[in-house]
Amino acid sequence: MRKNIFLLIILGVVVMIMSMMSKEFLRFSTLLESLRYAVEMGIMAVPMTMIIITTGIDLSVASTLALSGILMGIIWKYLNLNIWLAGLFAILIGSGCGLLNAYMITGLSIPPIVVTLATMAAYRGIATGLSKGRGITGFPESFQNFGQGSFMNFIPYSVFIWVIVALVGYVVLEKSKFGRYIYSIGHNETGAMFSAVPVVRVKNILYLFSGMMAGLSGMIYSARIGAAKSNAFMGGELEVITAVVLGGTSITGGEGSILGSTLGVLIITFLKTGLNLARVPHSVQSIIVGIVLVASIITYTRFGVGFFKKIKKGGV
Amino acid sequence: MEILRLEKITKSFPGVIALKDVDFSLNEGEIHALVGENGAGKSTLIKVIMGIHKPDSGQIYLRGKPIRINDPNHARELGISAIHQEIAVFPDLTVLENLFMGWEMVRRGFIDWKGMRKFAEEKMKEYMIELPLDSDLGELSTAQQELVQILRALLQNARILIMDEPTAALTTEETEILFSDMENLKKNGVSMIYISHRLEEVFRISDRVTVLRDGKRIFTKNVSEITPAELVEGVIGRRIETFYPKKKVDVGDTILEVENLNFANVVRDVSFTLREGEILGIAGLLGSGRSTTAKLIFGILKPDSGMVKVDGKMLKLKDPISAVRSGIAYVPEDRHRQGLILPESIRFNISLPNLPIIPRRFLVDLSKERQIAEEMIRTLDIRTPSSEFLTMNLSGGNQQKVVLAKWLFRDSRILILDEPTQGIDVGAKNYMYNLMVELAKRGKGILFISSELHELLGMCDRILVMRKGRIVGEFKREEFDEEKIINLASGFEEVNSGGRV
Repeated sequence: MRKNIFLLIILGVVVMIMSMMSKEFLRFSTLLESLRYAVEMGIMAVPMTMIIITTGIDLSVASTLALSGILMGIIWKYLNLNIWLAGLFAILIGSGCGLLNAYMITGLSIPPIVVTLATMAAYRGIATGLSKGRGITGFPESFQNFGQGSFMNFIPYSVFIWVIVALVGYVVLEKSKFGRYIYSIGHNETGAMFSAVPVVRVKNILYLFSGMMAGLSGMIYSARIGAAKSNAFMGGELEVITAVVLGGTSITGGEGSILGSTLGVLIITFLKTGLNLARVPHSVQSIIVGIVLVASIITYTRFGVGFFKKIKKGGV
Repeated sequence: MEILRLEKITKSFPGVIALKDVDFSLNEGEIHALVGENGAGKSTLIKVIMGIHKPDSGQIYLRGKPIRINDPNHARELGISAIHQEIAVFPDLTVLENLFMGWEMVRRGFIDWKGMRKFAEEKMKEYMIELPLDSDLGELSTAQQELVQILRALLQNARILIMDEPTAALTTEETEILFSDMENLKKNGVSMIYISHRLEEVFRISDRVTVLRDGKRIFTKNVSEITPAELVEGVIGRRIETFYPKKKVDVGDTILEVENLNFANVVRDVSFTLREGEILGIAGLLGSGRSTTAKLIFGILKPDSGMVKVDGKMLKLKDPISAVRSGIAYVPEDRHRQGLILPESIRFNISLPNLPIIPRRFLVDLSKERQIAEEMIRTLDIRTPSSEFLTMNLSGGNQQKVVLAKWLFRDSRILILDEPTQGIDVGAKNYMYNLMVELAKRGKGILFISSELHELLGMCDRILVMRKGRIVGEFKREEFDEEKIINLASGFEEVNSGGRV
């Protein structure tokens, strides 16, 4: 809770500084419009939070997004399938990618970082090969409108999906029995196993869910850009992880919240939007995001939020 | 020849007298065991010898001369070293680097590796110790790592070693290796104060034993002149019969059948049955396959072959979930790592294995959960301010009660208790024994694994003895024979009779 209050303060500070740097920034419509660009990150941050809480990681999300988008485009274009049905396929393909990760992690007992590092390269490679380096364009008007239009010309349609995913994620992680299992695995996987927690099943579901959300994001991304590209969201997995860690999820496991991660996504998004509007070069933007991340983590430890983690480490 | 002598040492802390008129002596080349329950004063006595505590009254003599020990560094200069398990060791550095960490020999401003190596090799030869100086410490077995610490102390000219539970983390084989190294040290005139809760080890390795209880010395005797029962009685101050609240319970139907369980070379052809209301003990040294058997039944490990039946029905030995569903509960030996999620609350821990049977399908019913936790806190008399209290802040005995609460809530019929009384105080132990009797009365089958033979003798209806993965003996309560069981468990029988058991 303390962490989230702290994040709200950072968010406020970011908005304040940005509005001083650029007059356009503080307009409500600008803020809402900038959310459109945060949707994919926000959606993928939900399963990423849960995975990092269990001390895992999924580096393949951005590549899964690209592969799902490309395959959706191919199915639509060459099989003449309805674009929405093809979108459903994108979600299925993403889930398949996640399931493959899950199998290698739990079934073959390979560390998540190794598995998803490999599939990050592999999924991206397949996407590039299938698209032969060219994007797929010309999606129907209605589909593009879903990615580019706004409800009452105000709230981007895709933001609604993000809100739904985040709400469901919040309930699952923080109110459900499944969420209990996630935290218990993160704090002490051995202990969870001795308490008859279905550790393998929980992990399988999480990586599957992560792939599924990457697939959904692939569809949203294609609709927003108006094209399916193999280099979509390149490097985005690190942005998602940055947002989650900024949001207070402990990389050593057991701690984290959906609200925190969502605030993390918002901070990064507003920061970048503001810096863009103020015409700060991209390279400098990255530096600033990095500084904000490190500064918040230092502040967490000073606040004593990570206190128990320290004791645990010191005790072993 | 006497090297160390403590006379009438008294030490009190606000509100408690930790040591009262305690005498203690140590001869050259002697292994002197110090035994007693938690809080008996062992560690205070050691701290007096190490110069950490100043005694209120009494005198310490070193080689006949009265002496004051100021602090641990002073003690080390006098040749007294304590071997701790968790003292600074660096697993990624070599043995040689670990030996000299913090007091490296220097030549012309550079570290003198050659000189240190030569010095270490000489000492190893002198004391007949073998250690690979260039291996990383982390690659060594636990026993060898302890030997590194012993060698380090010897390099610093230690003549008196204080060894606090050195075998706690060792397997049977490693323990034997350590013991033979200790015997070599003894031959070279090194004296050792040996602290252990394992009474059979006291008999195995030490020359004399001193029993402390409530800060007083109860007796000092030659090990050859005392029986295990006398020693136990000295330690707990009561006869065994009065300490264990064992009651005769009518044993009912068979609820658990284990048939020909095999796992690597750790568990071999283990078969036994457990009946309602029965307390079945498994005795055996560390590494005899006791805990592994329990983990196989509970589904943590998958057996190579064999089966487990509950009420005559085959159990899927897949994961703990199916074991728990058929009514098996396991209270593991390591409650910090296996038994509890330490950074979480009592409520969280009690409900964790029971979430599937707590009302509501998907969400957690917080108020119901809290109600259950509070009920268990009352039933088991867990001392805590509230159900939200983090389990990491509870005492050992109360932590163990939380682990039990997890399984008692769901009314598990088969309870596997693995070292349930380890590291908890006498009061909590007594509570645990009473609880076991109560549960047996209610028709539960209890599989009781313990390293402390006397508690098995006191509580069980039947005892299985395991050694090297096999069940090598079975005793009914009327046939209990402490000596026979110790011999069977440690393999002395084999030596004596010259054949296999």
